[in-house]
Amino acid sequence: MMQYSKRISLSLCLALLVLAAACTAKSANDTVGTSGAAVKVTDVTLGRSVGADKAIADKTETFAPNDAVYVSVATDGSSPSATLRAKWTFEDGQIVDESTRAIAPVNHERTEFHISKPDGLPAGKYKVQVFLNDQASESKDFEVKAR
Amino acid sequence: MSIFDKLGGKKDEKPKADFSNVRSGSSSTAAQPAPPAPIPSPGSSVGTTGTDQTYTVVSGDSLSKIAKRYYGDANQWHRIHEANRDQIKNPDLIHPGQKLRIPGA
Repeated sequence: MMQYSKRISLSLCLALLVLAAACTAKSANDTVGTSGAAVKVTDVTLGRSVGADKAIADKTETFAPNDAVYVSVATDGSSPSATLRAKWTFEDGQIVDESTRAIAPVNHERTEFHISKPDGLPAGKYKVQVFLNDQASESKDFEVKAR
Repeated sequence: MSIFDKLGGKKDEKPKADFSNVRSGSSSTAAQPAPPAPIPSPGSSVGTTGTDQTYTVVSGDSLSKIAKRYYGDANQWHRIHEANRDQIKNPDLIHPGQKLRIPGA
């Protein structure tokens, strides 16, 4: 009789353990599902031009003053409305430009921002910061060198 | 010490870079978000301009709800009904997609 009670207790304990494990697994899956749907920046690349797919065709981080500077931002995830912002700054802290683009991304998308200056960008070091929904995502440094 | 230094200047101080005519742009493979449906707030200029507007009925709308949006008073529904007699036979029955004329104040 004593042995029978022990077996019952052991079975109950095992059942509880299995139940707890199942609950943990369920909540872990929920987290993955939620984050999987959210939009996130997966890649930021600099270059002199972009293709029709908005990916950089000519990657570089060193530019001539008369080059256009492109930054291509890859995003993954879907949302009916998200905003991407590119903030370009010069080495002395001056804001060169700040552009925002509203997007409704579906899975993998690419968005490009670019700057240029008709009389040439001043030589020096620059930074472009990318924000997704006003949250800083990634930044890239580049340099403009006079020929 | 050079004359320049005596005058309080710094020989190696760079002039501030000029970014006044920087051109910028953007494009994306992603579509742009759909613009929000025009839902005027009560008391906005819509009701005071005296000009008619067009409103497209969406699911869940009623003449009272539309009147509330445009005039701030659900009891003004009959004004919308009167202006759209040609297409509203039964004021309790309007359909999504229907374009209604909203008379101005």
